[in-house]
Amino acid sequence: MSSQARRQAAATAAATTATAAAIAERGSATRRPKPYRPGQLSPRARAASYAALLLFALIYIFPFLIELGSSFKTDADAANNPLNPIPQHWTLAAFHELGQQDFPRWFANSAFVALSVTAGRLLFDSMAGYALARLRFRGRGALFSAIIAVLAVPGVVLMIPKFLVLNEFGIYDTYAGMIIPLVADAAGVFIMKQFFESIPRSVEEAARIDGAGVLRTFWSVVLPMARPALITLTVLSFQGSWNELSHFIVSRQSPQLNTLTSGVATLVSGQLGQGSQYPLKLAAALLMTIPVAVVFFIFQRHIVRGTQGAVKG
Amino acid sequence: MKTPQSPHTPLGRTALAGLGAVILALTAACGSSGGSFGSSSSGGGNTDTGPLTVLIGSSGPAETAAVQAAAAAYTKRSGVKVTVIPAQNLQQQVSQGFASGKPADVFYLDTSTFQSYAKTGALYAYASKITDSGDFYPALTQSFTYNGTFYCVPKDWSTLGLAVNDADWSAAGLTASDVPATWDQLESVARKLTTGGRVGLTIASDHAGVDEFIYQNGGTLLSADKKTASFDSSQNTQALAFVKKLLGEGALKFPSALNAGWNGEAFGKNAAAMTIVGNWLDGAMKSDYPSVKYTVYPLPAGPSGAKATLSFTNCWGVPAKSAHRDAAVKLVDFLSSGTQQMTFAKAFGVMPSRQSVKDQWTAQFPADAAFLSGSSYAQPDLALAGGTQAISDYDSKVAQLASTDPATLLSNVQKNFEAVIQQNQ
Amino acid sequence: MTAGSSPADSAVRRSRRRHRGGGIRGHEAAAGWLFTAPAVLLLVLFLVVPILMAAWVSVSDWTGQGNPFSGAAHYVGTKNYSALLTRDGLAREDLMASLRNTLYYVLLVVPTQTALALFLAVVLNRRRLAGRGLFRTAYYFPSVTSSVAISVVFLFLFGGAGVVNTLLSDLGANGPTWFADSNGLIHLLLDKLGVHSAPAVLANYGLLGQSWWDWLSGPSVAMTVLIMLAVWTTSGTFMLMFLAALQNIPAEVEEAALIDGTSPWQRLRMVTLPLVRPTLFLVLTLGLIATWQVFDQVYIMSQGNPAKTTLTPAYLSYAVSFNDQQWGQGAAIAFILFAIIVVLTVLQRFVLRTREAVADE
Repeated sequence: MSSQARRQAAATAAATTATAAAIAERGSATRRPKPYRPGQLSPRARAASYAALLLFALIYIFPFLIELGSSFKTDADAANNPLNPIPQHWTLAAFHELGQQDFPRWFANSAFVALSVTAGRLLFDSMAGYALARLRFRGRGALFSAIIAVLAVPGVVLMIPKFLVLNEFGIYDTYAGMIIPLVADAAGVFIMKQFFESIPRSVEEAARIDGAGVLRTFWSVVLPMARPALITLTVLSFQGSWNELSHFIVSRQSPQLNTLTSGVATLVSGQLGQGSQYPLKLAAALLMTIPVAVVFFIFQRHIVRGTQGAVKG
Repeated sequence: MKTPQSPHTPLGRTALAGLGAVILALTAACGSSGGSFGSSSSGGGNTDTGPLTVLIGSSGPAETAAVQAAAAAYTKRSGVKVTVIPAQNLQQQVSQGFASGKPADVFYLDTSTFQSYAKTGALYAYASKITDSGDFYPALTQSFTYNGTFYCVPKDWSTLGLAVNDADWSAAGLTASDVPATWDQLESVARKLTTGGRVGLTIASDHAGVDEFIYQNGGTLLSADKKTASFDSSQNTQALAFVKKLLGEGALKFPSALNAGWNGEAFGKNAAAMTIVGNWLDGAMKSDYPSVKYTVYPLPAGPSGAKATLSFTNCWGVPAKSAHRDAAVKLVDFLSSGTQQMTFAKAFGVMPSRQSVKDQWTAQFPADAAFLSGSSYAQPDLALAGGTQAISDYDSKVAQLASTDPATLLSNVQKNFEAVIQQNQ
Repeated sequence: MTAGSSPADSAVRRSRRRHRGGGIRGHEAAAGWLFTAPAVLLLVLFLVVPILMAAWVSVSDWTGQGNPFSGAAHYVGTKNYSALLTRDGLAREDLMASLRNTLYYVLLVVPTQTALALFLAVVLNRRRLAGRGLFRTAYYFPSVTSSVAISVVFLFLFGGAGVVNTLLSDLGANGPTWFADSNGLIHLLLDKLGVHSAPAVLANYGLLGQSWWDWLSGPSVAMTVLIMLAVWTTSGTFMLMFLAALQNIPAEVEEAALIDGTSPWQRLRMVTLPLVRPTLFLVLTLGLIATWQVFDQVYIMSQGNPAKTTLTPAYLSYAVSFNDQQWGQGAAIAFILFAIIVVLTVLQRFVLRTREAVADE
C-alpha cells in the first residue's frame, strides 16, 4: 500500500475518532455501554491465546530488533549472521558513514517539510472545517461535496500531474514545491468539520454575545476546544509528510532537497546502492523511524482512546 | 468539561509557530523559484564561470570520488565551479531535468537513451569542438552518431571477456591450453567445472548476457541505420538455443539462481567458476573479494569462427538548451582527454575511449589486455530511439530463457522492435 | 472515502439541526469564504489543475522536451489509450501484466490483512489479558513507520542469504531467492502436481495480449514478499478499528450468549462477527482501494523486476513517463488506474449505503 493510501485509511479512522474523542471529553462516555470482553476461557484456551499473541508480537517486533542490532554490526557480521540481532563486534561505523553522507541534511529537510506541512494543515484545515461546520454561506453544501469528491482521488495517480503543475508554476525543485501541495488536505478538512459539528454551540454563542467577531471566536474560543481533533490531525499530518515518498520524487531533483525518504531510497535502490552495506541502510532506516516513533509514543494514548470510541457497531 | 481558556496554551503556540513556518516556506519559495541550480544565470561566451552541474550514474564510491577529484582539478585550473551529483536513477533524473527545463549541464548518457534524446533534438552536437575528436574508437563514435552527426564524446568504454577462477581451473585439471576458443570447448570446460554447488559458467540474465553469442554466430539485431530489425533470424535462434542447452545441462546458471544479484557477485563468491563479464568486474573483485585470483581471456569464437564481443559506453551528454553550453563543452574537453581518462582508468577500472592511450593502458593493466583485445571486433550494445521498453522486455524474456522456446522468444522481441521502428518513421 | 456514512456522523447531523440559531448573515458569509479560501485554493491548485493538465498530456505526444502547454506537444486523440487498451503491442502487454500482478496482490493482501486484523483484535479483546497495551503497541507499530524504512528492512530479511533464508535453512528447508524469483505461485503448485509446462489450450489463447497461462500464473515469489510486507504493515491499523468495534458490543450480549451455553467459537461466529460486520465492510473496501495504489515498495525494492512480475500500474505510469519519456502514455495509465479506483469507490459507497440503511433500522 502506498503511504498516501495508508494515510487515507488512517484519516477515515481518525475522522470518526475525533468526533468520538470529543464526545468522550464532554463526559458523555457514561452513555457508552459496558464493553463486551469475552472471558471464562478454559486454561488451555487461555494458554493458546497467549501463545498466539506472543508469536505474533515476535513476528511484528523481530524485524525491528534486527534493524536495531544490525545497524551496529560490521558489513561482514551482518552478511554472515543475519539472523542474530546481537552484533559480534559493536561498531558505530554505519552511523559515522551516514554522518559523512548527506544524512543530516536529509533529516533537517524532512523535519522542516513535515513541520511546515503539519502547521499549514492545522491552520487551514481547522479554518475550513470550522467554516463548513458552523458558518452559513451560499455554496457551503456544494463546497463540502466537492471536497468529498476530491478525497476520492488516489494520490498515486497525481504523481505525474503534480510534477507538471509544479513545473508550470515555477516551484519545481524548491521547498515550496515540496511543502505547499502536501498542505492541500481534503481529509483534514473533513476531520475538522466532523469535530466542530460535534461540539456544542453554547460556548461560541456566549462569546458572540460578548461581542467577539468570527475570527476572535474561532481563534480564542473554538480552536482551544478543538484540542483532541488537532492532536489527531497533528499526528496524521506529521506521520504522513514524514513518511511521504512519491511526492518528493516528483517535486524536486537537487540532492540538497532530498528528504529522508527520497535520500534513503537513493542509498537502497540507486546506482549507489550496489554492494550490500546493510548496516548503513538499516542504520538509516532506524534513524528515520525514531521521530515518528516518538510522536507515536507521546500521542499513543490519544490515538488508541480515540479509535476505541470511534467505530460504533 | 475541560476547556482551555487561554489561547496561550502549547497548542496556540504551535499554531502560531506553524503560521511562521508556512510564511518561512513561502519566502523560501520566492528565494529559490528562479531555478535552484543549473541554468539560472545566462553567461555564455568566454566569461562563463558556471557553476556547472555534472550528473553521473556512478558505479560506486570510487567512481564518484574520481569524478569529483577531476571536477575539483578543473575548477582549480579554470575557475569554473563544478558540482558533481551522483544520480540515484540516472535515466529518470536526466529525463526529469529535461521535462522541467532544468537539465544538468553535463551528464552520463548511455547509447540507447542517446538515440531517444538525439531524435527529439534535446542534445547539443558538440563532438566536433572536442580536441582531436577523430581519436575515439570508431565503434564508439558510431554509437553516438545520429543521422550522420557525431553528437557527444564517449567518456570511456568496456567490453566483455571470459573471467576464470584460477583455483577452480587448476583443481579441475585444466591448463592454459584448455582455454576455450570455440563454443564446444566452452561447453566442455563449463561442464567440467560444474561440481557440487558450483556451476561452470554464469552470464548476465539480460540481453547483454546473450547478444555476444548471437554476434559470434553471425547474427545481427538491428541494421546500422536502425531501420530494420532481424532478431528472429535462424543464426540468432541457434545462438539462444546454445545458451539454453547450457542452461538445461546445468553447466550455466543465471546469477539469481546462484543467490547473487549479478554475475560478478556469483563469480566472486565462487558459485560459478567462469563468467562472461565486462571490466567493471575488476573494481568489484578488488573491493568485495580481494582474495579470489582470476584471469580474463577473450571470448570464444562461434561455430563459423566469427569472433565478437559487446561494447558498452556512455558519453558526456550536453543539453541543447543550456546557458552554460560552451563552458560545459570545455569541461568535457578536459574530462575526455587521454590523461584524465587514464586517471579514471586507474581509479575505477574503465578503458579509455581514445586510441592514443591504448598502449599506455595496456602497459598499465596487462591483466586486462583481453578486454581491449576485443576492440577490433566489438559490437555496440543494443540501442534504439524510443526502445527502452522494448529492450527491457527483451531482458526479462532472456531471464526466462530456460523455460521458453528461443524461436518464440525472438519472434516476440522482433515484433516489439518492429513496432518501435515503425513509430520512429 | 466514507464521508457522511458513519453512524456517528448522522448523529452529529441530527444534533446540528437542533442547534441551528442566530448570527449575522453577511459577516458570516464573508468569513465563511475567507476561512475556506486557503484550503480550497490549495485543493484546486494541486488536485484539480494537475488533473486537467494530465488529461491534456494523456491525449498528446509530449516527449518531455519544452513546455507541453505551449506548442511542444500535439493533440493525438486517443492514441495513447488505444496503445494501452486495444492495440496489440508492448505497451498493452506491460499494462496487462501490471494489472494481473496487482490483481493477485489485492486478492491476497486484502483478505489476509483483514482476517489477521480481526483475529488479533478478537484475541486482544479478551477479559483479564495481561500486557494488552504492549501487544497492541507491537502490532500497531509497523503501521506508523515509513514504507522506505520498512522496505529496507524487508530487503535485508528476504535477501538471498538473508534472515528468512537463514532461518529456513536452520529448519532444514531451502528458501527461494525471493527478489529474483519470477515463478508464479500457481505455476509452482502445478509444477509440484506434475504440470511442468503450459497446456496448449492455455498457452495458445489469451486475453488482451497475455496468454491464459500468464494470467493464471499467480503472484510471483518476489511479489509474495511485497504481499507479506503489506499485510505486516497494515493489519495494525485495521486491528485498531476492529478493537474499537468490539469494545462497543454491549456486555449484555455476551451474557445472553453465555446463558445459552455456546462455545467460544460459536460466540465468535454467531455473536461477534455479525456485530462487527459494518467495520468489516469498511476495512475490506478501504483495503481494496489502497492496495491498487501500491508504489513505494515497488520503487524501492524491485522496480517491477523480476520479469515484470512486480510491475504495478502506479509504478508503470511513473516509469513510462520518467524513464521512457512517453509522458502521454504515462498520464493515460494514471487515468486508467483512476478509473479502476473510481469503480471500486463507487462499489464501496454502494456497500456502505446498504450498511447505513441496515444501521438506521
